[in-house]
Amino acid sequence: MKNKLLITLLASLVMSANVALAESAKDIIASAETAQKKAASVGGEWRDVGKFIKAAKTALKNGDKKKATKLAKKALQQSKDGYSQAMRQAEVALELPAYMKK
Amino acid sequence: MNKKFKTIVLAITYSLIITSTNLQADVANDIERFQGYLMKKFPDISKQDFADGVYAIDKSSRESWEEIEEFPPYEIQIDDGKVMWDSKFANGKSYADCFKDGPAVAAQYPRWDKEKSMVITLPLAINNCLKANGEKPLKYKKGKINDILSYMTFESRGQTTNVKVPSDDPKALEAYNKGKHFWLARRGQLNLSCAACHAQNAGNKIRSEILSPALGQTTHFPAYRSKWGTVGTLHRRFSGCNKQVRAKPFKAQGEEYRNLEYFLTAMSNGIKLNGPGARK
Repeated sequence: MKNKLLITLLASLVMSANVALAESAKDIIASAETAQKKAASVGGEWRDVGKFIKAAKTALKNGDKKKATKLAKKALQQSKDGYSQAMRQAEVALELPAYMKK
Repeated sequence: MNKKFKTIVLAITYSLIITSTNLQADVANDIERFQGYLMKKFPDISKQDFADGVYAIDKSSRESWEEIEEFPPYEIQIDDGKVMWDSKFANGKSYADCFKDGPAVAAQYPRWDKEKSMVITLPLAINNCLKANGEKPLKYKKGKINDILSYMTFESRGQTTNVKVPSDDPKALEAYNKGKHFWLARRGQLNLSCAACHAQNAGNKIRSEILSPALGQTTHFPAYRSKWGTVGTLHRRFSGCNKQVRAKPFKAQGEEYRNLEYFLTAMSNGIKLNGPGARK
């Protein structure tokens, strides 16, 4: 009886951890997509972000939540970096570089 | 006309003259600095030589390029393009009805269209012609656009690049400046700009390839690239370059690449067209 209770408790712990991981991966994918759109809105999207998001969704669908999370985090970070880069570059002076002096 | 009104009219007139003079001075100044920098960097070649790209600055690859040019790989596209030019659309008209000066009009593009308030490139003009005559427009990177472009560009060989940024429309300068900004801005995961590779590091190697100087880059498109195994457009090359620095490319013939083409072609003003070209 005691063993049965312990097994049931362990099983439910593992199940809720899996659910939490899946939801976490889902959330990160959603965040990555939002960040991707934000970067794209300023012309700062990087080349592989879309590929990572697509691969993350496939991984999640196949039950590989760890891979999905890793890829989604990569997409999210690259989107943030792309956005920051574009915003910094928007401040670049409209002057030809100093090394191209007359 | 009273004195106060006269003063106001004169002030507005002078400011317009100054603005338009400054506008032309900005563009002319850019061209002088751009061309001057690269010509100083490669003093052993003439301004026209820049139209040959990396083959003007690298002797060993020039030899293989010259051999390739003896039997140009873009000849098929030129022939197919002539067939397209000579063929009638379903409505009985042809490209000649849109391009009244004939096929040799590549040097007229890119140009500022005041009415549409945008840069018009030759591929865009070709598709505008097709759409106006009820024909399906061509794709902008691969396929038949390269045939008609190859023919028209070949017929235009020897014409001089002469992009104008008209002084009577500030939006033209805005488009030019947007193209200039694109060229200067770092992008992608590799954080490189067009300027970083093709001006600052022109002649240097990136992995195994020599970076071509930005001067003269637009004179020989469309170009047969060995990598593509066929002829491709300038915007296909822009797209490839952006991908190589791990930036998501923009749409071919979208505003970004048209403005970039406007700026970059202006920087090669004075250089004769020599397309289609053959490149690695």
